[in-house]
Amino acid sequence: MTIDAEVQALSRVPLFEGLEPSKLRLLAFISDRMEFQDGEHLCHQGDDGDSAFVVLSGEVAVFVDDNEVARVGQYAIIGEIAILCDVPRTATLRSVGTTHILAISKDDFLKLIAEFPRVSLEIMRVLALRLEKTTRELAQVRPANT
Amino acid sequence: MEKTLFQFIWKNSARYQVAILLVTLLSYPVSYILLDLPKKITNEAIQGSNFPVEIFGMQLGQIQYLAVLCILFLVLVVVSNCIKLYLNVYKGRLGERMLRQLRFELFQRVLRFRLPHFKKVSSGEIIPMITAEVEDVGGFVGEAFALPAYQGGMLVVQVGFIFMQDPLLGLAAISLYPVQGYIIPKLQQKVVRLSRQRVKNVRVIADKVGESISGITEIHNNDTSAWHSADLSDRLYRNFRIRFDIYNRKYFIKFVNNFMNQLTPFFFYFIGGYLVIKGELSIGALIAVIAAYKDLAGPWKELLAYYQMTADVSVKYQTVVENFDPPDLYEKDRLLDDEMKTFSGPLTMENLGLSGGGTGQEVHDVTLTVKPGEPLAVTGIDGSGRAELLQMAAGLISPTSGAISVNQTNLESMPEATLGRQIAYVGGHCHVWTGTIRDNLFYGLRHRPQEVLDYKGSNLKKRQRQLREAVMTKNPCFDLRSRWEDYALANATSMHDLENKALELCKIAGFSRDLYLLGVETVISLGTVTEPGCELMAKLVEARKALREKIQGDTKLQNLVEFWDPDTFNHSATLAQNIFFASPKEQFMTIEHLPTDPQIAKFLKATGFDETLTMIGLKIAGTMVELFSDVGADSDLLNRYSFISREDLPEFSRIVDGQKSSRRPQKINEADRVRLIALALKLIPAKHRLGILDDEMHRKIVEARAQFMETVGKDNDRFEFFDPDTYLTTLSIENNLIFGHARLDRRDARQKIRHVLQELVRERELIAPIRRAAFDYQVGVAGAKLSSHQRKTICLVRALLKNAHIYILDETASGMTDAEAELREGLKSLMKDKIFLFGASNEAIAREFNAMIHLENGRVIER
Repeated sequence: MTIDAEVQALSRVPLFEGLEPSKLRLLAFISDRMEFQDGEHLCHQGDDGDSAFVVLSGEVAVFVDDNEVARVGQYAIIGEIAILCDVPRTATLRSVGTTHILAISKDDFLKLIAEFPRVSLEIMRVLALRLEKTTRELAQVRPANT
Repeated sequence: MEKTLFQFIWKNSARYQVAILLVTLLSYPVSYILLDLPKKITNEAIQGSNFPVEIFGMQLGQIQYLAVLCILFLVLVVVSNCIKLYLNVYKGRLGERMLRQLRFELFQRVLRFRLPHFKKVSSGEIIPMITAEVEDVGGFVGEAFALPAYQGGMLVVQVGFIFMQDPLLGLAAISLYPVQGYIIPKLQQKVVRLSRQRVKNVRVIADKVGESISGITEIHNNDTSAWHSADLSDRLYRNFRIRFDIYNRKYFIKFVNNFMNQLTPFFFYFIGGYLVIKGELSIGALIAVIAAYKDLAGPWKELLAYYQMTADVSVKYQTVVENFDPPDLYEKDRLLDDEMKTFSGPLTMENLGLSGGGTGQEVHDVTLTVKPGEPLAVTGIDGSGRAELLQMAAGLISPTSGAISVNQTNLESMPEATLGRQIAYVGGHCHVWTGTIRDNLFYGLRHRPQEVLDYKGSNLKKRQRQLREAVMTKNPCFDLRSRWEDYALANATSMHDLENKALELCKIAGFSRDLYLLGVETVISLGTVTEPGCELMAKLVEARKALREKIQGDTKLQNLVEFWDPDTFNHSATLAQNIFFASPKEQFMTIEHLPTDPQIAKFLKATGFDETLTMIGLKIAGTMVELFSDVGADSDLLNRYSFISREDLPEFSRIVDGQKSSRRPQKINEADRVRLIALALKLIPAKHRLGILDDEMHRKIVEARAQFMETVGKDNDRFEFFDPDTYLTTLSIENNLIFGHARLDRRDARQKIRHVLQELVRERELIAPIRRAAFDYQVGVAGAKLSSHQRKTICLVRALLKNAHIYILDETASGMTDAEAELREGLKSLMKDKIFLFGASNEAIAREFNAMIHLENGRVIER
């Protein structure tokens, strides 16, 4: 798999959807492509998060307190909050079968943002939209509670 | 040491000087006839009329006479030039020999300095003295006596000739010599003073540069580069000023001399002319005198130059030698004596005192006896005199009062052959020598050569010549190539045995794990491969195969490594490694050098790979320029991820633009092509994932390997091929075992493999051999590639290995950790029948010993 396929995968990640292709390419280039065997862990719950994972192929099982809560497949992004702020991992990730992952490290991602302010504007826009959506959903839920 | 240059030269080369003088005198008639002969040829042979001429009873016609004279001329030309050649070579050789002797003498004196003297002199000053400053002495030695004798003789002859023509004119000719003889030395004296200043100033410069290098971290740490720059610049300016003054005076002397030389003809014309007019002198005689006077100028000039050179070289000699003559130099015998006395009894110190050093370096009135088998701890903070007391006990510094003795003999009177072999001292600052760990561990056993090598044929001749020269220049005759390790001192019988002993001691010193880790990094070099080495290589190749099977057989380990496989493309390796499938034996050869290497270039051209690689390089450059062109220059994204450095990016950008701008791509020039090929060769497909290579290309690259091997030959001395069945002497042991690349896309692949590797090595009982291989590990400049703890441990093992009678450890193994405590126990059990002094600043540690003394302000205050 080449960098072009990785760029394609990244472009499907909602957080990065507003980025120009050239920046996506740079992001892909500075990220690490990893291969995980069946049962190998990507990360453990409670660890310091230092990178986000984009599933390029295969499947990843998500465990919270040793209970499998979900399975995610191609183009899913997991742990993206970790590349923006320091939070411990909220779940354990384990590879199901052989998976290929693009690991975006926090340090490099922040450097990229520092380098290109437009990238951070795009990301901010995506996050703001999400916040707006969450707030709206919360507002809809709240009257029913009271 | 001889105080003046002439004493030194005469004392050491009188015989040769006389020889030079004789040959010089011999050349005198030859050159005289040679000067006279052309006159004879023109006057007698060409213009003459009294033929036939009789020579040695033979009647010669004009032509024959001309031929005889011309042939004589030719013969004399050859003879005179042969003499000159012989003399020059002889003088040069003599000069070099004297220089060698002088330098060696100076170095030996450095070895004879007492330790406190090194507080006053720095290596930055000593080094230029021994190397550069005495250099001129070599050139001078050959001329020292011959030149003044020869030129002086010429001068006397010429002056005599003038006196014979007319005493008055003779007086006129030499009338200014007394004046010159008075003024010129006066002027020269100032020059001598300046030269002395200059030499000292240059020494300070050398010292400052040396100090800047050793203190470089402090300079960066304190932002003081400006201060040091100003400091050095100031010194350089001073140097300039001194030099300028010297030039001014030197050329002024020349001016005065020339002026006075040309003033004399004034008298000739004036007085001589007056005499001719008065009819008291013939005009012919006056012309002859003037001609003779012209000939005077040559020798006189030579003599002046000689005088100036003598003054210059003498000053240099004196300013050097006075530094090597401290009053308290050790006797020569202390170094040269090879008779070792074996110690057995206790060590006694009586009223030991040391003073005269800095504060906190004094010892007062210490009296104690240390018996074998009764270790004694010596405590005291730094500056309590502890270190000094222990150094005195080791015979390293001499007490100013009192005495230290073993077996009723004062340490002061013993040669180093005894002190250095019977006493082992490991202090706070120990030195690791540049070289291998082996060199360092066995350093304490290298006292004298242990064998006489059997030279044969031309080697014997070479060796004999070397020995002759050594004797002639008063250098030692030791053979550096022979074995120096004294096995017997370490109770060993062979190198293998000695290594085993060293391994045991390393274990006690807690150095085994380090040895293993250094061992796997060691490149077993061809030079050091002995028989057991070959065996080890074979075993390592077997282990390599086993490791591969193990990794491939285990589902968890699978795919961690991409092995070197002659028939498959290795995605985790560079294109260079993939194409050539070899590693260069020359260490300086990096990927940048490859495209310009003639053999490689030829191969690339023959296979068409130069075109292919250029295109690949162009694609890579294109992508890199695209990705990184708008990344800021100070961002480290560029440094970390691009494999084009920041400085090179504009260059590649230019190349890429050149290809893009015009419809038809421009022809890429040779320099750019080399750049692009080097770039392509650096590509690691799995790391860079640029998708430039397709399967077809992989296949072509794999095919090229065989072709490359054919081009350079399987058994060449420049490249070593990745053959799964041979041990590679260009790779470390670890890389030889793994024989491939850890996959970059697997998390912690390297660590996991290392773990498996260690297991396998243990199973196959290769740990000890690998530790042994670590003996050939290069420690870098003064052990720079080792940690300070490792350096210290090596010094400790070095001391233990020499099996001395007295062991003195100061600030060594005195840590609070469990490992160090264990080491101390190990040391105590090793020292069962030895004298053992253990210095530490920490009293808690000293309490582990049955007996201890405590020092404060240089006095024992507690026992």
